[in-house]
Amino acid sequence: MRIVTVPRDGVPVTDARAVASDAALGKQFSVQADVVVVGSGAGGSVVAYEMAKAGRKVLILEAGRYQPSANFTEHLGDTMTQIYTDQAGQINTTGDVIFVEGKCVGGSTVIGACVMQKPADAVLNRWASEYGLPDLAADKLAPTFDLVGEWQGVHVNEAHEINSTAHKVIQGCERMGYSWKPVQRNVKRCALTGHCLAGCPSDRKMSALVTHLPWATAHGARIFADTHVTRVLMKSGRATGVEAVVRDPDTGHIVSNMRVDASVVVVAGGSIQTPLLLQRSQVPDKSGQLGRNLAVQPFTQVIGKFKEPLYGFRGALVGVQVDEFVESHGYQFISGLAEPEQLMVQSEQGAGDEHIEYMKSYKHMAGLNVFALDEGRGTVEWKGGLLDGGKEIKWSPSRSEFNNIVHSTSLAARILFSAGAERVWLPTFQKLHADNVFDLDEQLKQVDYGINGIYTFRMNTFNSHGSARMGVDEYTSVVNPNGEVHGVSGLYVADASIIPEPMAVAPQWTVQVLAKYVSDKIQSRASSHFVS
Amino acid sequence: MTSNEPTALLQAMTRRRFLRWLLYSAAAASTCGVVAFAWMKRSPLDQVAVPVGQQSLSAAEYHLFRRAAAVLLPTEGRVFAPLAQIPVLENIDSMLALLAPAVRDELSIGLALFDHGALVSGWHGKRFVDLNNAQALDYFDRWATGNTIQRTLATVVKKMVYVAYWRDANTWPAIEFDGPVSDRWGLASLGNAPLPTDQEKRS
Repeated sequence: MRIVTVPRDGVPVTDARAVASDAALGKQFSVQADVVVVGSGAGGSVVAYEMAKAGRKVLILEAGRYQPSANFTEHLGDTMTQIYTDQAGQINTTGDVIFVEGKCVGGSTVIGACVMQKPADAVLNRWASEYGLPDLAADKLAPTFDLVGEWQGVHVNEAHEINSTAHKVIQGCERMGYSWKPVQRNVKRCALTGHCLAGCPSDRKMSALVTHLPWATAHGARIFADTHVTRVLMKSGRATGVEAVVRDPDTGHIVSNMRVDASVVVVAGGSIQTPLLLQRSQVPDKSGQLGRNLAVQPFTQVIGKFKEPLYGFRGALVGVQVDEFVESHGYQFISGLAEPEQLMVQSEQGAGDEHIEYMKSYKHMAGLNVFALDEGRGTVEWKGGLLDGGKEIKWSPSRSEFNNIVHSTSLAARILFSAGAERVWLPTFQKLHADNVFDLDEQLKQVDYGINGIYTFRMNTFNSHGSARMGVDEYTSVVNPNGEVHGVSGLYVADASIIPEPMAVAPQWTVQVLAKYVSDKIQSRASSHFVS
Repeated sequence: MTSNEPTALLQAMTRRRFLRWLLYSAAAASTCGVVAFAWMKRSPLDQVAVPVGQQSLSAAEYHLFRRAAAVLLPTEGRVFAPLAQIPVLENIDSMLALLAPAVRDELSIGLALFDHGALVSGWHGKRFVDLNNAQALDYFDRWATGNTIQRTLATVVKKMVYVAYWRDANTWPAIEFDGPVSDRWGLASLGNAPLPTDQEKRS
């Protein structure tokens, strides 16, 4: 019997510095593995753990750096510079939507707000019936949702985890008659610091950094950080490994070139990086859907100012969600007030004295975050050469998506007014605020769709998905019902890319469940993938 | 030669003379416009040296953000951290240095447009960096409700200045934001989660 032990703190990682100082590796080296996993976030970490637990030799390649929890400073600006993709400046071609993504060991699980949501049963059952994915039916996936949730301490927020911002949202919902409930989060004994987006220095957030990655390494998996996979290697319709470059994360200089020979390649870089890698690798794409159907769940933040000080930035970052409109309209609202720096990005504060007055109100503010369902019309495309090319992300709201954002913003503002807000600031590029509910609609009328809806609402996306969708038909989908890329044996995708259609909830839990599902499928085909 | 030919010739000559006159006039007007624009687009600040060591900011951009910060953040005489004590320009320089080259190039064009836009927009006849406080504030407000390009550029400048200011921990006490608390509260790390057990039975 093999004894498996998990280190108390941290994860053993080989980073660029270690590679540079290892004379045996040099400027070019190769490694053999049964399974190479590209990306160490929600999907990649689960696959790595499942495969390593099954006795496979697993290698995890992460493009971002390794930031041990002890190094988190709770300073959002510094954190964004270090472990967010493009320093939190990953944008679409028009430059008005930020695609927020973690770029570090643990991926976006490290910088997320711990929100764990399941898709409605009806959604999963639709995937089963309309997309020919019967294994994704609600009753089939329910045990996996429970298991993955239990591992990470997913629980419904308790009373002490509902902060003053959330209480205002509850108050507003009660007066409006809207349904609300406490958010479920994957956090253990939350210390209520409110700094989730900057990483959790006391390891209470159950990110991949303290769960699946240490578990995977305990079972023998090996992690390389600072390692950017340039392409998947294929031969005769079969994945054979990957090529990668190890870069110094501070200078960007290439430290070494790496080649991994593996029986199975699992790509789990998320809905932006995964299609880019597959495009660079020139995988067959009969459907033409690779990099298409990107759903963004546009996110905006409505800010309300109340008479009394709330200190709404204290306590658990997210407390409650308004679920009244999830099924009817595809909107959900989650309470939460941003740190000052993030507030600057998400709302328009005027100039000069007006800005000063705005910031004086900070402790009187409550925030309601709006997530609207979109139509999944975004695209991700790699342009140019293998090493010198770049990504191009396209998404702008259609007129109906724009109308949804207007409507959902209006509802969020009404909730805050019902809770007693004296003023509500709207998340627009124009300087707009309303001092009562009657003024609200007039203000919103000023937001004109204009040129393709660009530079209208200040939008981010934390939850993009669907850019390599799963399906039965190779002419309409990118991966098959096992998560394997159509036409390439041994090449799997296990992240938010494979979600078959736009969905209205935070995707992390679903991604982890799908990653476990894909792992099980790989195992079920072990005899055709692995020699031993 | 027909009887109409002299008249036609005269008409043609008149037309040629008229066209020549028009051409000269247009050339003169253009030259005056170019000279006027070139004269107006100069700023006394162009001769003012900027601190050495900027990674990304050009001299013109340095002056632009310096002027914008002074207008956007009137901290003097208030409880807010004095602008002079916060490294706003250094922070902006660091942020810009991290941008992808293509995005940085586009931003340079946008910033130049914002600066020079004041020559025409509002008929100030001078660049943004040379506007007085009231004019500069008005310029920001008008661009914030202007066309898409104006809104975008005003937003970008404001966003960069505000982020650069508010990211500094010295600005937080004034708004009672607590900043990092884990060390202050003595929060112990809970470490890695224990390895799951018994999972196969239930999955």
